[in-house]
Amino acid sequence: MQYRKMMTQVTLVVGVALAAVFTVQAARTPAAAGDLAGGSSGLKSAGALAFGPDGVLFVGDSVGGAIAALDTADRTPAASAKIDVQGIDEKVAAMVGVVASDILINDVAVNPISKNVYVSAARGRGPDAAPLVVRVDASGKLTLLPLDNIKHETVSLSDAPDPNPAARQNPRTQTITDMAFVNGNVMVAGMSNEEWSSALRSIPYPFKTAARGTQLQIWHASHGRYETQSPVRTFVPYTIDGQQYVLAAYTCTPLVKIPVSDLKAGAQVKGVTISDLGSGNQPLDMVPYKKDGHEFILIANSSFGVVKLHADNLGQYKPIDSPTVVDVAGAPYDKITALTGVRHLAQFDAGSALILTAAGGGGFGPAVGPMSLRTIALP
Amino acid sequence: MKHRLTCIAVVLVLGTTAIAQSVSLQFDGTAFKVLGWTPAASPPSGGWSSIFRVYAGTGDVPPLIGTYAVEQQSLVFRPRYPIAAGVRYRAVFDAPGVRPPVEKSFDGPARSTTASTHVDRVYPSAGVLPGNQLRLYIYFSAPMSRGEAERRIHLLDAGGKTLPGIFLPGQELWDPNNRRLTMTFDPGRIKRDLTSNRSMGPPIVDGRRYTLVIDGDWPDATGLPMTGTFRKVFRGGPAVREPPDPKSWKVAAPAANSRDALVVSFGRPMNYALLQRMLKVSGPRGEVAGAIGVEREESEWRFTPGSPWAAGQYKLIIDTSLEDLAGNKIGQPFDIDVFDRVTERITTTATSVVFEIRSTAKP
Repeated sequence: MQYRKMMTQVTLVVGVALAAVFTVQAARTPAAAGDLAGGSSGLKSAGALAFGPDGVLFVGDSVGGAIAALDTADRTPAASAKIDVQGIDEKVAAMVGVVASDILINDVAVNPISKNVYVSAARGRGPDAAPLVVRVDASGKLTLLPLDNIKHETVSLSDAPDPNPAARQNPRTQTITDMAFVNGNVMVAGMSNEEWSSALRSIPYPFKTAARGTQLQIWHASHGRYETQSPVRTFVPYTIDGQQYVLAAYTCTPLVKIPVSDLKAGAQVKGVTISDLGSGNQPLDMVPYKKDGHEFILIANSSFGVVKLHADNLGQYKPIDSPTVVDVAGAPYDKITALTGVRHLAQFDAGSALILTAAGGGGFGPAVGPMSLRTIALP
Repeated sequence: MKHRLTCIAVVLVLGTTAIAQSVSLQFDGTAFKVLGWTPAASPPSGGWSSIFRVYAGTGDVPPLIGTYAVEQQSLVFRPRYPIAAGVRYRAVFDAPGVRPPVEKSFDGPARSTTASTHVDRVYPSAGVLPGNQLRLYIYFSAPMSRGEAERRIHLLDAGGKTLPGIFLPGQELWDPNNRRLTMTFDPGRIKRDLTSNRSMGPPIVDGRRYTLVIDGDWPDATGLPMTGTFRKVFRGGPAVREPPDPKSWKVAAPAANSRDALVVSFGRPMNYALLQRMLKVSGPRGEVAGAIGVEREESEWRFTPGSPWAAGQYKLIIDTSLEDLAGNKIGQPFDIDVFDRVTERITTTATSVVFEIRSTAKP
């Protein structure tokens, strides 16, 4: 078992009013997906995926600066089944008429109702690449979602484009790095291609009742001394001792817990680093789970492989109030060496996870196909 | 009755054999057609795809998706997506009674082979980058392909050895046209006291020489390599920890009635992309329209008005998110030392510098 000891302070500066966002959502009934309007989703790209209520799939569109809520019409409950699709990139490529190297797989998600798997991808690598969302069922059958005619809602994250088509296109983009549906809100982490910002946005769903939502500014303080704005790369909702948190991984390495309930207008919220998986590494996806009476978090990393974090005692890590406190603790973890080439990870059911693996690439290099999609027993 | 059915069956077999001999498959650039076979008014129970499919891959792969139609008594398949260069398509027609099944391959359009794309320029343009340099902007002459940056961009030390773990992995931050890529030096190595910073040190070390290499075989958006490999040699400089302070900037105001440029000197290089949109000029008649120029290794901002300057008091309005090369914002360092009580943390979104445009005596 390897472990590192570290505890650092995270300060969340709440930039704008947040009052109602995290407090009243539990009482809200999600809009029935059947209420969504049909037509073209308007997606220019399909990136981060997250499932909401009633078979609604949120799709992050970094190129279009928007999030679409798609009605997958996939609401038939199914018992858990195994998924095993070899060469998923080759199969998707064949469906849309390109070579496999022209398919970029961006994310995977599991419909919690039907257990069908959804894969977001791009057909092509250039600016005109077409967005794809593919459903994979337990039999291995692939179905392309008709993005040009599907019930949906969309919320824009960026300013309206210049109505003059001859105007110079704004080169600024906000890449959506991860999304999750938490208490009736779509939480969105992103990175700008220009300024170093740390926007974590919270957008109430259904979108028609709100504009672009509220935005948090996230700070990270290492060793209680140096504070920096820190974009979040990936995050997952998590409950510790009955309190709801977001476990987040920063681009600058540490894994932190952010208490959701404390996010109120004007508040400065202190979160806590629970682990640091080491230098030159980026956590890609996280899956919390329970096994044999213990809590764990399975984490896929860019260069560190897959690790299983022991999460029984995350509640013991308290915010550091004094900048003079040094790092004192960190959650231990095991490396899962049997899993290699894991590029995406998602919760499948209580006992298994879904992984997307690449045959080649790894380390700091891009994934190289063929790629496979399969369920594994949680270790 | 039995005799009658046998006769019909014989006629059908003879008929379809005759038809099979003349069935052919055609591709006109957008649609695949079955010629010499008359489809029924409605599709078979398994749909038209049960008898006519087009494959764009080999092995156990699903067929191409698209729509079927009967046009001028021919079965037609239109792929959902355009035909791609470099792909071989295999059409298979396998209807009952048509034996053997008819199969034919078609090639997508040939790829162009003449490379023309190149790295246009890289910012920062200076030959010395601070040890806590945060980002690089790479401008290409034409749209590029995504998913390649991590293996095509390298930083070499003075001995030509590739340095590992320099850039943030897994994030390609493009503009909407795939012509400008933003690369981020690993912030975990830049932020003081983080694990990466302690174990690996900063990506750039003061006093050392480096070469940024962008491989020429990086395919552009059409799949063609670039015309050549790009290299930028630079030296590491001291880390910049002090935030930019507009009070120290030099603002050279032009004369009234001229269209001379307003020149703002920062005293240090700034983030090129942010200089395009985070400085504005406001005058007696509101915001002044004009053209922006960035000079002297991004340490100078020039603003040429669309119409001559009117005399009066003006403001240079500065978005406090404007950064220098190290990600220090106006009044806010990239990593704030909370032990340093002198550090001022600015919470407003804009600040300004006032300057005067004065009339000059006419000759």
